[in-house]
Amino acid sequence: MPPPDDLVARAQAGDQTAFRELYRQHAGRVYALCLRLTGDARDADERTQDVFVRLWDKLRSFRGESAFSSWLHRLAVNVVLNERRTTGRRERRVMPAEDPDNMAGAQHAAPLHLNIDLERAIADLPDGAREVFVLYDIEGYGHGEIAQLVGIAEGTSKAQLFRARRLLREKLER
Amino acid sequence: MNEQELHEAVSRLPKSIEPPRDLWPDISARIKVGPWRRWYWVPLAAAAVFVLVMIGRSIQPTAWDVTALAGRPLLGTHRLAASGRLRVGDWLQTDDSSRALVAVGRIGQVEVQPDTRVQLVVARADEHRLALAHGTIAAKVDAVPRLFFVETPAGTAIDLGCAYTLATDSLGKGVLHVTAGEVEFQTGLRSARVPLGALIQIRPTTGPGIPYVDDAPAPFVRALMTFDYEPRGTRARAIRTVLALARPQDALSLWHLLQRVDPSLRGLVYDRLATLVPPPPGVTRLGAIALHSRDLEGYWTTIQRIHFRMMALRGVRDVDPRTGRAVH
Repeated sequence: MPPPDDLVARAQAGDQTAFRELYRQHAGRVYALCLRLTGDARDADERTQDVFVRLWDKLRSFRGESAFSSWLHRLAVNVVLNERRTTGRRERRVMPAEDPDNMAGAQHAAPLHLNIDLERAIADLPDGAREVFVLYDIEGYGHGEIAQLVGIAEGTSKAQLFRARRLLREKLER
Repeated sequence: MNEQELHEAVSRLPKSIEPPRDLWPDISARIKVGPWRRWYWVPLAAAAVFVLVMIGRSIQPTAWDVTALAGRPLLGTHRLAASGRLRVGDWLQTDDSSRALVAVGRIGQVEVQPDTRVQLVVARADEHRLALAHGTIAAKVDAVPRLFFVETPAGTAIDLGCAYTLATDSLGKGVLHVTAGEVEFQTGLRSARVPLGALIQIRPTTGPGIPYVDDAPAPFVRALMTFDYEPRGTRARAIRTVLALARPQDALSLWHLLQRVDPSLRGLVYDRLATLVPPPPGVTRLGAIALHSRDLEGYWTTIQRIHFRMMALRGVRDVDPRTGRAVH
C-alpha cells in the first residue's frame, strides 16, 4: 500500500487511481460519520458520495498542516451539516430494518445487539440532539467547535448533549 | 443504564462502517475530468459567461407574459383577468378551474394546468428557469439545449429542445412525459435522459426512475419501478424480469439500467442490451461495463438515433427496432 502522503500528493495532481485508493482507505470512517449524523442509511450513502466529490474539488487546498484524515473528517462534517442547512428536510428518521448488520460495523468489542440498539437509538434522536451527541461523544469535538460547525450557541450545544444522553438512556432502558 | 455505562457503550462503537455497497462508481462518474477541467480554462470560461450574461441582460426582458386560458389564476397577489407579466420571484397559481399560458421569454411557452403553482426564478437570455412547486405544466420550447429549466421538489428538468408534460406533488413525487425532442431530469446524484415517446417516474429521495417508452408492457414497467423504488432485497428478481421482458424498443431503459445495477450485474445487462440493439463500432463490452463515458455516449447515440427514427416513422413505415432501418 503506498504511503498516505504519496497518495494524497498523487491525487492532488489529478491521479484518479490514487484518489480511488484514498476512497478505499477512508470510506468506512466517512460513511460511519455520515450515517450517524444523518440517522439514515440512504442519506448516508448520498452524503458519503458528496464528501468524496467535494474532496476531489478541494484536495488542492490541503497543505498538510494537519493529518489528512483529520482534514477529511472536518470536510465530511461540513458537507453533512451544510446539506442539512440547505435542504432543511429530514424525511426518513428510522434506519432501514433490513440492514442492521450495516449499522454494527465489522468489528465488535461489545455484544452485537447492544451496538445495534445504541445505533438505532442514536438514529432516532431529534436532529439537533443527534448531531451534537455524535460530534461530542463519538467524534470528540468540543462544544466551542460544535457551536461553530452547527451554527448554534455553546450553551445550546451543551443542552442538546444533555438532552441526547437522557433520551438515549431512557430508550436503552426500555 | 447510567451515564458511565452509556459512555462505555459509546466508546465501543466502531469508528468505521463499510458502506453497504461500493460507492466508488457513482463518485467516479461525478468527478470525471477532461481537458476542460484544466485550470487555464477557468478564467476563459468565466469571461465567456460574463459576456453572455451581460449580453443576455441587455436584450432580454426580465418578466414573461402570462395569459389566462380559463378562470382567473392568481398572479402574485392579484387575480389575472386576461393577461399580465410574471416577474422574477412572482408566483403564478391556478385553482381547479383555471389555466394559464406563460411565454418562456422568446423561446417557448408553458401551459400551467389546474391546481398548479409555479414561480419564475430566472429570466435571462442564457437561462430560463421556473420552479414547479406542485401541479402540472406542459412545456414547448424551441431553442438550443439547456436554456430552459424547471425545478421541482425532487430535481430539475433540463430542456434539450423539446415538448413535455411534467407533473409533481409538493413532495416531489411525479411523472415526466416527453412528447418531442429530449429532456434530462437530474438531481445532485442521479440523472435520466428521456427522449420523445418515453416517460419517467420521479420520487422525492431517489429522483428520476429509469425511463421507459410509453407503450412498454405493464409487467416491464412494474419491474423497473420495483428496481428503482423497492428495497434492495427485491431488486435481483426485478432485474431478471426486466431483462426477460425487454424488447429492442426498450434499449433506452437497459442503457440506464446498466449504470444503476451493482457492478457485478452490469455484464448481464450489457449482454442483453447488446442482443437487442448491437453496439456501434468502437463501443466495447469492457468499456461499457466500466461505465466509460466514451462507450456509454457512443451506445446512447445509436439507441437514441434508432428510437427517434422509430418514433418519426411510427404509423408510416415499419422500422427494424434493432437497427433503425426501414423494413421493406
